[in-house]
Amino acid sequence: MSRILLATSSVLVLAFLCLPALIVIPMSFSSASSLEFPPPGFSLRWYESFLGDPRWLLALQNSAVIALLSSTIALLVGSVAAYGLVRGTFRGRPLIEGVFIAPLVVPSVIIAVALYIFFAQIGLLGTMTGLVIGHTVLGVPYVILVMSVAIRSFDHRIEQVALSLGAPTATMFRRVLLPNLLPSVFAAWIFALIASFDEVIVTHFIAGRHDTVPKRMFNELVLQVNPTITAIATLLIALSVVAIGIIVLLLRRGGVRMQSLT
Amino acid sequence: MASIRRFPAEFGYVLPLLLLMLAVFILPIVLMLARSVTQPEWTIEHYQNLIETSVYLRVLGRTLRIAVITTIACAVLGYPLAYWMRGLSSQRQVLATALVVLPFWISILVRTYAWIVVLGNAGVVNRVLLDLGLVGAPVAFLYNELGVIIGTTNVLLPFLVLPLFAAMVRIDDRLLHAAESLGASRSTVFRRVFFPLSLPALAAGSILVFILTFGFFITPAILGGGRVPMVANALDLLINQFARWETAAALSTVLLVVTLACFAVSRWVGARGATS
Repeated sequence: MSRILLATSSVLVLAFLCLPALIVIPMSFSSASSLEFPPPGFSLRWYESFLGDPRWLLALQNSAVIALLSSTIALLVGSVAAYGLVRGTFRGRPLIEGVFIAPLVVPSVIIAVALYIFFAQIGLLGTMTGLVIGHTVLGVPYVILVMSVAIRSFDHRIEQVALSLGAPTATMFRRVLLPNLLPSVFAAWIFALIASFDEVIVTHFIAGRHDTVPKRMFNELVLQVNPTITAIATLLIALSVVAIGIIVLLLRRGGVRMQSLT
Repeated sequence: MASIRRFPAEFGYVLPLLLLMLAVFILPIVLMLARSVTQPEWTIEHYQNLIETSVYLRVLGRTLRIAVITTIACAVLGYPLAYWMRGLSSQRQVLATALVVLPFWISILVRTYAWIVVLGNAGVVNRVLLDLGLVGAPVAFLYNELGVIIGTTNVLLPFLVLPLFAAMVRIDDRLLHAAESLGASRSTVFRRVFFPLSLPALAAGSILVFILTFGFFITPAILGGGRVPMVANALDLLINQFARWETAAALSTVLLVVTLACFAVSRWVGARGATS
């Protein structure tokens, strides 16, 4: 009896968790202009109203540019730093690692307020440069976490062999380390990319007149109920599913288990 | 001589990122903290302002209340779920874990938006309730504290369930069998053996949920409809509407201190759990 109760309540809680995702997808194909569920008929009008609106397309372009630039910078600087953290034995290493992971722990809104005041004083408020910098900071923890695990699981002696055979450090990085860690490098990059593409709070504070997809979605949601959001939401879900698929595939190929990341 | 060199080559690899983070992450936060006590000169005026203006205390109190209720809701919903998942076959465990992780990958905006569809006056839940004749008029789930708590609980539940499930899986079945073979009933085994062993993970997960609720911005803005501002929403108003940077800096500092204090407690609880 108590087992049935436990199973029922657990299935209900799982349903509660997944309900939002499950309900948005059918809504996006609805022909109604109100939020009727189940939808009265099938239509692609909300996809048309997204893809046919130049303001949404501009926001999409901004999101893509910011996400690509910030995730690439975070990946380059972050991977090199992760190597130094894992292989190095210098003082203050835990503290430095703490600084790199901190943007994940400190509430985004605090980073948003701090960057707002800082950027306002140095003239970066409301600029694309400011947005890229802000998003880079938020992407760094993901790169550090994923790349630290990957580098730690790579045999240090293979690097030493390459170096002792006379390879310069840069060559060792390019010819030995990078090919072996490539799957994790891509996974780290996608993590940072998604983190940037999904970011609302810091963007909302520092973007000024620039729009990104999440910022525009947020502003629309606060003002009114607009079913166009469901179409964008569904596209974002599709993007996430593809991204997870790629990450899981890459990490498995790279020999990194998902559990070791959490 | 020294076994640890001060600046070995590896430090050079860390340096670029360290400089970047110091310049655009640590420095802005330090400047913000400084601003809250030095504008126009050394002063605690902005903190006095927070305490004396009832609106900030109300917002802080509301944030605290929502955080406590969300934490309890997550523990009450999450503990049985994690316990049930522990007993599943490994194949089903993977499926259940995937379902718990799934929402992580969907924009929080999307998940929050879905609740408007589900819980609105013309939403699914209200129409079912009306059709069944259980209520005479639509129940107001949204644009009040209840709506915000439903939203925060939905977003934060995985943060409690995943570490809790991971900790429960590590609990050795032989301990439970030993207790049973010594004559303990199933409920006694749970109460005296299993639950105490899972308690550190439950505590750590609950503190994590508590911390994360404190910084929530999107859920109260959308599901609270502006009527249930939490700390983050108050910061939004102070910065983007009233341009009161000093008060915002002081309020951010309070939020940061509370967050870091809770984080330190959770690390301490986690470390105790790992050693015991």
